[in-house]
Amino acid sequence: MARIRHIEIKNFRCIQQLAWVPSAGINCLIGPGDAGKSSILDAIDFCLGARRSLTFTDADFYRLNVTNPIVITATVGELDDDLKSMETYGTYLRSFNAATGVVEDEPEAQAETVLSVRLSVGSDLDPVWTLVSDRAETAGQSRFLTWADRAQLAPNRVGGLADHNLAWRRGSVLNRLSDERPEMAAALADAARNARATFGDLADAQLGGTLRIVEATAQSLGIIIGEGLKAMLDTHSVSFSGGTIALHGADGVPLRALGIGSTRLLLAGLQRQAAQKATVVLIDELEHGLEPHRILRLLTSIGAKDAAPPLQAFITSHSPVAIRELRGDQLFVVRNIGGRHEARTVGTADDVQGTIRLYPEAFLAPSIVVCEGASEVGLLRGMDLYRSALGEQSITAAGIAWVDAKGIAQVYGRASAFQRLGYRVAVLRDDDVQPEAAEEAAFLANGGAVFKWRDGCALEDEMFRCLSDAAVGSLLERAVELLDADLVDDHIRSASNGQHTFAACRVGLSLQTRETLGKAARSKKGSWFKSVTRMEEAARDIVFPNLATADEIFRNTISDIKQWIFRGA
Amino acid sequence: MEPEIDLLAFDQGTITAPAGCGKTHLIAHALSRHAGRKPVLVLTHTNAGVAALRGRLERAQVATSAYRLATIDGWAMRLLTLFPRRSGHDPEILTLSQARQHYPAIRIAARGLLMTGHINDVLAATYDRLIVDEYQDCSVVQHEIVANASAALRTCVLGDPLQAIFNFAGPTADWEAQVKPQFPDAGELATPWRWINVGEEAFGRWLLEMRHLLQARGAVDLRTAPANVSWVQLDGVNDHRLRLGAGSTRPSVADGRVLIMADSTNPDAQRNFAGQIPGGVVVENVDMRDLVAFGENFDLASPTIVEHVISFAGSVMTNVGAAAMIQRLVTLRSGRARIAPTGAEEVALRFAEAPSYAAAADLLSVINSQGGVRAHRPAILRGAYDMLKACRGRDGVTPADAATAVRERSRLVGRPLATRTVGSTLLLKGLEADVAVILNPSVMDHRHLYVAMTRGARQLIVCSSTPIITPA
Repeated sequence: MARIRHIEIKNFRCIQQLAWVPSAGINCLIGPGDAGKSSILDAIDFCLGARRSLTFTDADFYRLNVTNPIVITATVGELDDDLKSMETYGTYLRSFNAATGVVEDEPEAQAETVLSVRLSVGSDLDPVWTLVSDRAETAGQSRFLTWADRAQLAPNRVGGLADHNLAWRRGSVLNRLSDERPEMAAALADAARNARATFGDLADAQLGGTLRIVEATAQSLGIIIGEGLKAMLDTHSVSFSGGTIALHGADGVPLRALGIGSTRLLLAGLQRQAAQKATVVLIDELEHGLEPHRILRLLTSIGAKDAAPPLQAFITSHSPVAIRELRGDQLFVVRNIGGRHEARTVGTADDVQGTIRLYPEAFLAPSIVVCEGASEVGLLRGMDLYRSALGEQSITAAGIAWVDAKGIAQVYGRASAFQRLGYRVAVLRDDDVQPEAAEEAAFLANGGAVFKWRDGCALEDEMFRCLSDAAVGSLLERAVELLDADLVDDHIRSASNGQHTFAACRVGLSLQTRETLGKAARSKKGSWFKSVTRMEEAARDIVFPNLATADEIFRNTISDIKQWIFRGA
Repeated sequence: MEPEIDLLAFDQGTITAPAGCGKTHLIAHALSRHAGRKPVLVLTHTNAGVAALRGRLERAQVATSAYRLATIDGWAMRLLTLFPRRSGHDPEILTLSQARQHYPAIRIAARGLLMTGHINDVLAATYDRLIVDEYQDCSVVQHEIVANASAALRTCVLGDPLQAIFNFAGPTADWEAQVKPQFPDAGELATPWRWINVGEEAFGRWLLEMRHLLQARGAVDLRTAPANVSWVQLDGVNDHRLRLGAGSTRPSVADGRVLIMADSTNPDAQRNFAGQIPGGVVVENVDMRDLVAFGENFDLASPTIVEHVISFAGSVMTNVGAAAMIQRLVTLRSGRARIAPTGAEEVALRFAEAPSYAAAADLLSVINSQGGVRAHRPAILRGAYDMLKACRGRDGVTPADAATAVRERSRLVGRPLATRTVGSTLLLKGLEADVAVILNPSVMDHRHLYVAMTRGARQLIVCSSTPIITPA
């Protein structure tokens, strides 16, 4: 067992610099494409993998600049006694302080004893693996793990290497499950001899013509090859190497021929079984080839739901299904901030955990609009649908996700949680109830954007205030369709203390009646549009088609929102 | 044969092991049963002790992967080398350039390192358990090193407080007041195997009885002893002759060996004595002072180089007549000699003509081969040959450096035992023979006396004016 406590990457592919303290269990890396998630997995694989050689190209260097060497340092803890032995690695043992995330050069009582493994690649493209130790360096010493210990630490990559892992090959997961090994040399050598014998002269009949030509040519050149040239099985071609023994189903079909998903699932399950010996599992694109329920199975099989994680996994995913099933402390958002990469934990604060369950897809978008309630979500959805119908760029395609904060009290909790993770965040809120001024000010100071309706207005107030008479008429008609005329009339009367009626509103509108309608639409007894679907449809069918005739304040607000969303794109 | 105490059964323990009661066998037996992945760390005090224990373990065919053997100081140095920052010592102390200050500093730094607990998990990952031999010789600081290490390792210490005669590393830890409170009493060995193995159990039992007596500071009455013990009564007139007689005692068995315990304060007397008894050889101190001095003063360009070599020969071999030989050379070189030079003198003359390391070795060799000449300090003579050989190499090592190197190497190998070895209890402790001869018990305290009495498996000869030996 071993776990990566600290990773440092320099000048590797798109990562100029990354220093990260991963969690001991699942580390699901999320973030926009090209953020370097897969590069982090590769870096771990290259650094800790048990390879005799590894080919690098100039393209593996940050901005192709080979003068800055690639340096990948993985500090590994929870070491077996063999790896902690003073006799073998005494000069290289270091300490990792979980509380501070700091790696120090020598063991320490309050910290964990660790080894730092480093892969460096210079302009000669030659990979060099070493153990890191300041004191060894001072003494001019250098060494690396023994091959056995390297194999012990090597991460297992679930994916591409199904062929490899479903046969008894060097480092394959099957070899980690138990110490049983196939004893095949003698039996296979026999089989090879039999094959040669059986094949015998069969080829002669088919290749007779060719054989005669070779014979004649040789003779004419005076090369003595004897009479009766033969075509036989080449002894070399019937030799068997490692991995000759592979898993097969009852029908004799090799298991590597299973579907991608099944293979990955099986391998992940085996990894878990081999966790005693295996160390770190790497899964690129967790959801690849898997239906949602199998994603769940895969996550469960590598211990995502266990309180004490059985193994450490590094995963990349773009699947909301995967994210929903994970805890905030298993999710890490990878960010590239001016060349410096960061992997920030999503965390387990209540509002974050709730957001993961409800809006997993939000974590996969670069920009997020935190909406005060269902109406605001509906408005944005309606806007998106309206734009799509017109053939304009959709909001989601611009990398925007929305989140329902379910009330003004939760708005800034959610918004700042995303903000801390490095997302671009906007808040869309009503103004009938104001949020904590300090929270909003802090959010703005951190670069957040806030969109709200005019003073004291909720969305309904705004709609009935800003739209043209005709559009307000359409809204009333929609309300009647959704509820019924008597109920709508009831709401209007009670909102105006009996001053206005539905019939009167149908005839002519004043500022007072518009205010009354806004209030009535939010009636506690049954609000007209307060659901995602109702508001979405009202926005698509009425608000946005009539935007041109709306008043300037509303048009400006919507224009600001659009500008933020499309960011000049 | 199954030892009476199972060493592996104790997580923390002190085993008291009287002389000859199978302590080494106990360790070897435990290590041969040890099957864990991690080796057992076995510590002792001196390099000679390490060499002796290694020899015993190899003879007992204990797998070398089962143990790691080191001196406490050597192990401490290793810890400091591996974890310099945590121990925070001055790197200078690891050079041992000033051994007198550096060794104590190393011990104190290692104690400090272990006390912090920084490397506890590393120790636990590296070793299965810790066994410390000859624990009675532990200084207080060394005891604290072991005590701190025992926080991470199951630890058993073995020794005999009555054999605590070393104190070169400072005052030793008190067995009852310091050792046992730290490592609870795990029993005392009580079977005198050394004597049983040669059919002299009664002698062995008597020595165990005397052990209790000596522990209580009592006196030993030689008249109550079994026949294995002889009393050579000194009369104050012929003492030297009587002692020579005792020292020349023939062992009762073929190839038997004799250990002669002489006055530790007078090395010259020991050498003298060795020269006067048949086959007598002196056991040398580990510092091999005389070899180093020979190397330091060895200068091929010196006009007195021949004299230097001959004097040295006279100091390590009997009957050389160094002074006379030097005188003869003066005569021979002036051409006034009436008698032709002997073979040895010819070699000496040639060496004087053309001094070289090879010729110096030849000279020593030809002196040694003269009739009646015998090396009573073979360790020093052997060292001189090794030194001269090293100087002949192309690298041009100075004789002084070569001598130091030879000494350091000899620290790491056990001392081969001659038929008749003369030395102090300090130097003969840990060695065993068939016959033990005590030349002067009146200067010995109860510990030295016990060590001296238990060196022989078949016979003990005590030279004393009285039959009652009272510890000093």
